[in-house]
Amino acid sequence: MKDALDPENGKFILRVNSLVKHYPLRGGILSRKIGYVKAVQDVSLDIREGETLGLVGESGCGKSTLARTMILLEKPTSGNILFEGKDIASLSSKELFQVRRKIQMIFQDPYSSLNPRMTIGEIIRDPLIVHKTGSRKEQEEKVASLLIRVGLSPDMMDRYPHEFSGGQRQRIGIARALALDPQILIADEPVSSLDVSVQSQALNLLTELQKDMELTYLFISHDLSVVEYISDRIAVMYLGRIVEMGDTKEIFENPAHPYTRALMEAVPVPDPKRGGRKIILKGEPPSAIHPPSGCAFHPRCPFVIPECRKQLPLLEPFSPRNTSSHLVACIRK
Amino acid sequence: MFIHLFKLNPITQKRLRRFKKIKRGYYSLIILTLLTVISLFCNFIANKRAIIVKYDGRYYFPTFKFYDMATFSQTDEWGFDDTEADYRSMKKQFKGTNNFVLMPLVPFDPYENDFDYYREPPPNPPDRRHWFGTDSQGRDVFARLLYGFRVSIMFALIFVFISQIAGTIIGSLQGYLAGKFDIYTQRVIEIWSTLPFLYIVIIMATFFKSGFLMLLFIMTLFWWMGITYYMRTEMYREKTRQYVLAARSYGASHFRIVFKHLLPNCLTPLITFAPFAVVGAIGALTGLDYLGYGLPAPTPSWGELIDQALQIQNRDKIWLTIAPFGAISITLILVTLVGESIREAFDPKQYARYK
Repeated sequence: MKDALDPENGKFILRVNSLVKHYPLRGGILSRKIGYVKAVQDVSLDIREGETLGLVGESGCGKSTLARTMILLEKPTSGNILFEGKDIASLSSKELFQVRRKIQMIFQDPYSSLNPRMTIGEIIRDPLIVHKTGSRKEQEEKVASLLIRVGLSPDMMDRYPHEFSGGQRQRIGIARALALDPQILIADEPVSSLDVSVQSQALNLLTELQKDMELTYLFISHDLSVVEYISDRIAVMYLGRIVEMGDTKEIFENPAHPYTRALMEAVPVPDPKRGGRKIILKGEPPSAIHPPSGCAFHPRCPFVIPECRKQLPLLEPFSPRNTSSHLVACIRK
Repeated sequence: MFIHLFKLNPITQKRLRRFKKIKRGYYSLIILTLLTVISLFCNFIANKRAIIVKYDGRYYFPTFKFYDMATFSQTDEWGFDDTEADYRSMKKQFKGTNNFVLMPLVPFDPYENDFDYYREPPPNPPDRRHWFGTDSQGRDVFARLLYGFRVSIMFALIFVFISQIAGTIIGSLQGYLAGKFDIYTQRVIEIWSTLPFLYIVIIMATFFKSGFLMLLFIMTLFWWMGITYYMRTEMYREKTRQYVLAARSYGASHFRIVFKHLLPNCLTPLITFAPFAVVGAIGALTGLDYLGYGLPAPTPSWGELIDQALQIQNRDKIWLTIAPFGAISITLILVTLVGESIREAFDPKQYARYK
């Protein structure tokens, strides 16, 4: 499976190899382990320098867990995470502390991601204090410049989060993530809780920042249109596994996995003349505790054949002609 | 780094404004604060030593300093002049001279036996000399109440402060670290808190020589658990917020996350329970003093006064009962009013009420 990733196509900055995250499920009076929630199962992907990798999937498929495990907010069950050639999962806490400043995260909920008891200035300055960057005055100047950078005014520094709108709060979250001059930003559904009009502003801000500061993004969303807009490449996730990955254009033109196609056809298009859908997803997403045998998508797949129930499809190049950029995990591709 | 805990953010300011609007609590707090501040100066209010004496052109401030009788050319009935000066008789002595004396409001200290003035044996009923009468050893009840208030309120405040801090630290760590630490500490707390507080303190107090600090230590040892339950659940609730994840993602230490990020969001139970803890502490100290296991003997204390009042030979000396019970009731009512108003001011349900 490692071979399916192409090391030559651009320099990768972060690479994830067979990452697994299982949460033990405890029950009974002795709270023994009675099973596992298989949140992330054997995920491999690479993020190239300067690109935006979009990660899509329905809620509960393990997108956020993958992101949190990638920056070691959760301990991976197995697998490794290579950042600048080093496996950060096996670093000492001191070395990890130094890596943390290079990979920062933007959170989904702009309401709970800012501490209500701290002023905006304190919130953005806190990473600088933790990493002991510069004097107090330098830190305050940095905070002011960050606020300007994300389109807010420096005199908002002494105000509290509840005085801001959702969009402004998300900008504050972005400013905090930028405080340590990171190389990679992991954006976990950064716009999904914002109004559509505010969403586009936030997305434009993110693309602008990427251009100016040479950032690399891992952009997580369940909204395909948002991902299409911002991403260079897309990875589609289903029940803890990546089922399709490739360049945005390629994926949108030739979606190979039935799940990807179902997702795309579910995107509302403002055109009343557009014909009916081809694939409509039936049923609930399956349980991550007892995932279906073989291909996890088979209970909902319209093209299911008996083989699908037995064989776990590997992430392989879509067509022989196009060896590198478009990978799919489906035996009927 | 703990200064942020006392900073007023808009929510706190709103709560303070609401607290001010609840008149009974606001005025109770003012009265209590005044009484506490006054009690700090009770050496100037009830004392056998004068506040200022002017004698032969020199000024004396004897409140905290010993002057013998010779200083003011006095002698006692046997002709000695090296005992303590008698300030109460100075007014008569200085009549018609340039000298003067300023006595405290109550010219008796709480340890002094005033036997000679009365023909009856003590306790003597209230009169102009002793406003609240004297106790069974001829000591001024008002002075003892006043000094007793100082001891009680100071003891309660220090005691509550220490035990709340200890409980907060342990409860916060339980809630934040969770897992094994939480489970084991919680079991220890459960066992620890089933020990009957008063009995244990009485047993401990008989083993160790009980003084102010020793009693403080023993009582804290068996009282800190109460607040841990609330801090623990507050932490459990609050640590799931994404700002904690954010702080972890840039490498903030656990210590910083608990005490800088989480604790300011978890202060509500601490503040709302503090006044009631003070009520409990005053009650417990009075109870221990009443039983004779509290502060050592000559210390003026309310419990000891109640003990005197309830002795069989003093049952008809009603002033001995009214004074300490009145003082305790008034103090506890004031503290409770403050606590109840704080609780009301902090009640989040009010925010949702339409007007």
